[in-house]
Amino acid sequence: MHPQLETIFDEAENRYLKPEELSLLGEYVDSLPERLEAYRNLRDRELKIMQSVADQLQLELPQEKVEMLERSIKNALLMLRYCAMGMLLNDEAFVQERLLGWLSLTVQVYDTRSIDAVLYRLLNQRLKQALNPRHLALLGSMLLLAQNTLQQPASADTRR
Amino acid sequence: MISVADLLTNNRIPSNYFATDAYVRGDLELGLLENRQGDRLLAVPETLIQGIYAGLDKETGQASCLVLFNCGRWWGKNFYVRFCEQLTDYYSVSPADMPMVEFLQALQQCWITHGWGKIELDQSYQHRGFLVIKVWNSPFAKLAPQGKQPVCFLEAGILSAFFSQLTGRELHCIQTTCESLGSDCNRFVIGLTKRLEPAETLVTNLDHEAIMQQISS
Repeated sequence: MHPQLETIFDEAENRYLKPEELSLLGEYVDSLPERLEAYRNLRDRELKIMQSVADQLQLELPQEKVEMLERSIKNALLMLRYCAMGMLLNDEAFVQERLLGWLSLTVQVYDTRSIDAVLYRLLNQRLKQALNPRHLALLGSMLLLAQNTLQQPASADTRR
Repeated sequence: MISVADLLTNNRIPSNYFATDAYVRGDLELGLLENRQGDRLLAVPETLIQGIYAGLDKETGQASCLVLFNCGRWWGKNFYVRFCEQLTDYYSVSPADMPMVEFLQALQQCWITHGWGKIELDQSYQHRGFLVIKVWNSPFAKLAPQGKQPVCFLEAGILSAFFSQLTGRELHCIQTTCESLGSDCNRFVIGLTKRLEPAETLVTNLDHEAIMQQISS
């Protein structure tokens, strides 16, 4: 769950929540039906969306090895699933900690960044068509975070 | 054409099995720690590690290095089996068929999640038949008594057994730098016993690069 929300639940013994804390909670609760709907939509269309991205990707990058393309697609599926969960929880840290630290290493080792760049463009286009703007906005911040992190060139070792 | 559905394994995409928050589970009331497949984990307090060092030193003196190394061998052998079992269960592929990169990535994450620090492989001496392993933030180095030579005999034993199993050849392991002596990390050299033995006497006098020069020339 969003770290800010998580911390306010620790306050039970100290005090009642302040109006701004309650409104933060309210905002999240109000957004939940939309988040759930976006999640279901994405879940039900995952294969269709990704298949069309995969077909397009092969057309745009016919020179790339199928093995490399498949790796990128698998990583994108993983990214999409984690982003969907992150959106449901409204928690970027979930995506960051569970997925990105690990996946950025894989991306570096196999050097799939140039394929990924094309794939992300296709995926974002396809999501724009498949999801309504409200749902896309909810998912967007997670996707942006994930894609930006994974597109970063091999940086100085950040794992230490 | 690529079929996306075929890329999934039982509708899953196996990723980071050893992710810390997913891997370590516990039931505080029962006082149990478990991993994600329900095997017991053991939390070792710092005092116990210090106590093991102190007790071994008192009971066995100089031989404590050998005792620790042999305990490490035993541990490493079992650790390898468990590690491979978990990988096979999770990735639905045997470690032998797994790309080396992914195997090592899992090992690195596994090391971190168990609290043993950060591990990295340095393959720059591979053509000479040696593998160098670097470990940062090792609790076994941090809690060891200060000495004049590297102290991570337990880890050296674990690594020698692990890589012996992995390669199917009997390999030895010698530590050349140690955090307990102020080095940036612990460096372990893995190779055939016969070729590595000369390094045993060099570790107190020479630095890592000089030792590597000597044994690989």
